[in-house]
Amino acid sequence: MRAVIPALVVPVWRTLPWRTLGAAGAAGLLTTGLPRLFGSAPGAWFALGQLRAAALAFALGLAFLLDDPARHGTAPVPTGRGVRIALRVALVAPVAALWWTAALLLVPGPDRPPAGDVTLEAGTACALALAAATLAVRRTDDPYPGRPAATALLVTGVLAPLLVPDRWALFVAPQDPRWAAAHERWAWLLAGAAAVWVLSLGEPPRRRSARPRPGPHGS
Amino acid sequence: MTVTVSASGLGLRYGSTHALDEVSLRLRRGVTGLLGPNGAGKTTLLRVLATAVPADRGAFTVLGHDPATARGRQELRRALGYLPQTPGFHPDFTPFEFVDYVAILKELTDRAARHQEVRRVLAEADLADVRGKRIRKLSGGMRQRVALAAALVGDPGFLVLDEPTVGLDPEQRMRFREVIARAGEDRTVLLSTHQTEDVAMLCHRVLVMAGGRIRFDGTPAELTARAAGRVWSSAGRDVGAKAGWRTGDGGFRNIGDPPEGASLLAPTLEDGYLLTLDGDLAEVTA
Repeated sequence: MRAVIPALVVPVWRTLPWRTLGAAGAAGLLTTGLPRLFGSAPGAWFALGQLRAAALAFALGLAFLLDDPARHGTAPVPTGRGVRIALRVALVAPVAALWWTAALLLVPGPDRPPAGDVTLEAGTACALALAAATLAVRRTDDPYPGRPAATALLVTGVLAPLLVPDRWALFVAPQDPRWAAAHERWAWLLAGAAAVWVLSLGEPPRRRSARPRPGPHGS
Repeated sequence: MTVTVSASGLGLRYGSTHALDEVSLRLRRGVTGLLGPNGAGKTTLLRVLATAVPADRGAFTVLGHDPATARGRQELRRALGYLPQTPGFHPDFTPFEFVDYVAILKELTDRAARHQEVRRVLAEADLADVRGKRIRKLSGGMRQRVALAAALVGDPGFLVLDEPTVGLDPEQRMRFREVIARAGEDRTVLLSTHQTEDVAMLCHRVLVMAGGRIRFDGTPAELTARAAGRVWSSAGRDVGAKAGWRTGDGGFRNIGDPPEGASLLAPTLEDGYLLTLDGDLAEVTA
């Protein structure tokens, strides 16, 4: 396996959905950079909203990371699914880190929310996207798990601020006294998403619960 | 001849549907054809044997490897070549790059040896001339051969081919048959198809599936012999026939229990196959 991973780096890099990730990243940077382009200061609350929207945009792009048109043919190979998924994530992680740094720097210093906390939020959004996509890979035969994963993430991202009760509030402002508690919850959410991701990496030994997408002819 | 693939009591349910129902089989070296109507469970059986989907019940081994354990599954996959029903590709890859990618996934890590192996299977699939062309620019038949080359890479002992000749023109089909026949000389090949000609030309043995079960297991000649004395022609549709269809000369070809004095015809593999389906014939001849 040690020799397989280095050999896989270039071909796997080429199979990553760079156009989708690029579009998502560009949308995110545009969201955070637009006020700067017009020479206006966004204000702290607006800047926080911009960064959250940018993180959601990038996470939506990340939901497509495991889309693989060759999935059906490459499923039964000795190199396990977990290794391949982990390699995809490892390849995109530095790009994501650079992108997020750029997004943070586009927000003027005085308006920028605490970088660590808002990075935790962005990381959680990305982890949720990856967990959803990995779960979709595990539970379905769809070579394109990105669409359902992104839809689930978008619906969650839109509905969560509206439906989550106040005592579990996640989307609060830095001056809000609940800021620290909210970020404790973000950390738990991140841990949960990471756990789901790790548990979904393996291949089920026996039973699958979802029906595979039927082929054009067979069953 | 030694049994290379052995399965017993394989079962897989989706809700209340039995995709596989107590399927047992033993395969040996050579090409075995798998016939059956749509929804018979052919693809599911192939996917289970290829370890692309786990079964609910039963057990199987391939070349002595038991996929019930992670180690056994990995060993099995090292010995496996799989061409799925709907092979997909990364369109910006060339055939060489794609097959090379699959070769790495199959743990062929020595670059020089791997490239030599990729060139060998591309030549075997008659793709040497287009190995540097983008896959998105290749015809459907060529793409199908790229998928076959990917299945062949690493010289697997067990080859699982799910409808590999579907959508190919006669010339492409002929080339495909040649490659599969060559592969079957020293491997175990399980070939799912709707084309009885493929089975007649390629297979030393045939399985017929319907409703998730194996309905027939024997040689193509034995399947054909099932229809001996049970195929006849008539001027109009024979209501007593199990199935009948209009032929090019305006008459009807019927299968089932012929009436007295019927004009019997020489049976074909297709006749034997249709008679084997029996209860499922209504769907076939509707």
